[in-house]
Amino acid sequence: MADETVQTLLQFEGHRHLTTRLLLSTLTGRPIRITKIRPSSTRPGLTPYETNFIRLLDSITNGAQIQFSMTGTTLVYRPGLITGSAEGLGAMGGVIRHEIPRECSRRGASWWLIPLALLAPFAKDKLNVVLHGEGCITSSTPAGDVSVDSVRTAILPLYKSFGIERSIELRVLKRSCVPAQGKSAGGEVQLVFGHQVRLPKTLHVMNKGRVKKIRGVAYAVGVSGSNNARMIETARGVLNKFVPDTYIFSDVSKAPLISGLGSKSDPNGKMKGAVGFGLSLVAESSTDCIYSADVASPPQGGVTPEDLGKQCAYQLLEKISAGGCVEITSATTVLLLMAMGSEDVGRVCLGRDVLGTEEIVQLGRDVKVFTGAAWGFRSKGTADAEDEIVVSVVGRGVGNVGRKVA
Amino acid sequence: MAPALGKRKRITREELEQSSRASSPCSVSQNSDGEDMQARFRRAFEAKFAPLKIEPVRAEIQKVEEPAEEPEEDTDWSGISSEDENETSNGVQVFDHTATELPRTKGSKSEYRAFMSAKPPSLAATTTAKPKAAPKYVKEDDTVEAAHMKNDLELQKLLRESTLLSSNAPTYSTRTGNTRESNDARHKLTDLHVQSLGAKKSIFTQKSMPMSHRKGISAKTKMRDYKRRVEAKENGITLEKEQKVRKSVGKRDRGVGAPSVGKFKGGTLTLSKKDLRGLTSSAGDKSKGKKGRRR
Repeated sequence: MADETVQTLLQFEGHRHLTTRLLLSTLTGRPIRITKIRPSSTRPGLTPYETNFIRLLDSITNGAQIQFSMTGTTLVYRPGLITGSAEGLGAMGGVIRHEIPRECSRRGASWWLIPLALLAPFAKDKLNVVLHGEGCITSSTPAGDVSVDSVRTAILPLYKSFGIERSIELRVLKRSCVPAQGKSAGGEVQLVFGHQVRLPKTLHVMNKGRVKKIRGVAYAVGVSGSNNARMIETARGVLNKFVPDTYIFSDVSKAPLISGLGSKSDPNGKMKGAVGFGLSLVAESSTDCIYSADVASPPQGGVTPEDLGKQCAYQLLEKISAGGCVEITSATTVLLLMAMGSEDVGRVCLGRDVLGTEEIVQLGRDVKVFTGAAWGFRSKGTADAEDEIVVSVVGRGVGNVGRKVA
Repeated sequence: MAPALGKRKRITREELEQSSRASSPCSVSQNSDGEDMQARFRRAFEAKFAPLKIEPVRAEIQKVEEPAEEPEEDTDWSGISSEDENETSNGVQVFDHTATELPRTKGSKSEYRAFMSAKPPSLAATTTAKPKAAPKYVKEDDTVEAAHMKNDLELQKLLRESTLLSSNAPTYSTRTGNTRESNDARHKLTDLHVQSLGAKKSIFTQKSMPMSHRKGISAKTKMRDYKRRVEAKENGITLEKEQKVRKSVGKRDRGVGAPSVGKFKGGTLTLSKKDLRGLTSSAGDKSKGKKGRRR
């Protein structure tokens, strides 16, 4: 611990890209200081969901130190060891139950799940976390978070190409949609990540192949299942022309019940959580590249399932047309895993539009700050792939500190 | 149709020759001047040499197609125009939805289970159902094979029961009445059947009998077997290996509270040399071979 205090703090500014910076800090073991977190906002400092994420980070690590300034606009984070769901450190029976309160209902559960899944392979022990509470939304959200179905079907399969494939599960215990103002969601998701590695394998993905099949999940929570059928019908109407192997599965569930939220007359009664419906589509290419699309009904309602189905299908087509072997939703995951890999150059082909997004550019800069190795870019040589760029990422070669002596 | 099909008329040799002449390519083709010339040439040729062999007709095929098309040109109906393709003369519009119909809306159940389970769907999972195993090429083979198998089973059964068959066939014996022998044979037959179906032991083994009897029986069987073996050995016949009943090698069951070592008899605990060695020897020389054994 003595050398850790000597380590200089890496300085960052602003509230954006907080999760990726915290992730990089935890994975590389370097302490960070983030200043100017919403200094001029009427509600300065970290939002509830950001503090909640830090709390989750604290519960799966051991020895992390977190300091806030008085106003909450400055954060100092000294990462600990990623222990996973080790007994005695917040885990009950090998499971960490993490509550997401109602204030955090602006983000979907995937906002917690994707970083969590990124930390899990580098944990000392297996990770088993249940996210629950009034702010746990399993559907996709207007804030741009994907649904947990997309996390399961589009992001988690990518770990396989890094040699991480065993005993990974994402269970949707209770579905919920985006709640209206002042309402609560009440979803429940369990992430089991039982495959810890020393180092992820080096990835070389240059050929995106051709889309060979499309799968999807249509979910209706607390509303009629016919909404699913209508979404599926329109989405298939659009996609079947391109890929005949298109199947969308339907999942109809009741609205989640939240206890302890009854009326005044019955304070111990239960209340229904948020209702709605949505669609998650996943396209898979012949070379195992995955593209996904996600839409859900807005909390105020007023959107027909047909519109949503069509919108989702078009969104998927747009994602595919953006090109590259990795789409924007999973690009952070893939690039971070590559950066944490063995000391070798991995290559991945990204679409120009995917690479040009703010989060990927900033991720590249942050990775350079943390690991000292910048990414290399070159355009893909062939004429038919003009909008694709090959990103070369040098692995850090440190990998899992907890697994080093085992 | 049937009455029209009669016996084919016998064709005489002359007729055959004539008809073949008629169907020659030259005669069928247009009766123009060129044909006459050819005929003349041939006649001249045949006068000098042997008659020509006439090849079967080929040119006829082309001619057949033509008349089918011709009558259509004569009619004044010009077919359905492209503008009102869906409209018949009655003003009824016909829409065809068969082409736009989606092939299948639901995936198979196994696919549903694979995709909707908690695990991330594997990338390599095959989506299309496995093609059915190619149907057996020759069905007759199958039936023959089945028949063979059946016969085989019956033959084996027969061989097994042949000892009973000689004098007391089951069917015969049941018909003849309830004599003691026939009944015995029937019971033996049943016993054989049951044993072949997997019974543990014969129904004739007696469960309880005086000990002296059982001893006598077992001694007799042993003696018989021994005799057989001796005779075989003398005659130089190789017999099957003797099956030895193994004693259970497991740990001896000591009573509750009994000493865990030695032999307790008559109020004294007797320790054999082996026991003593086990007790006194230092662990070092014992654990040479076995590493990591806890003491």
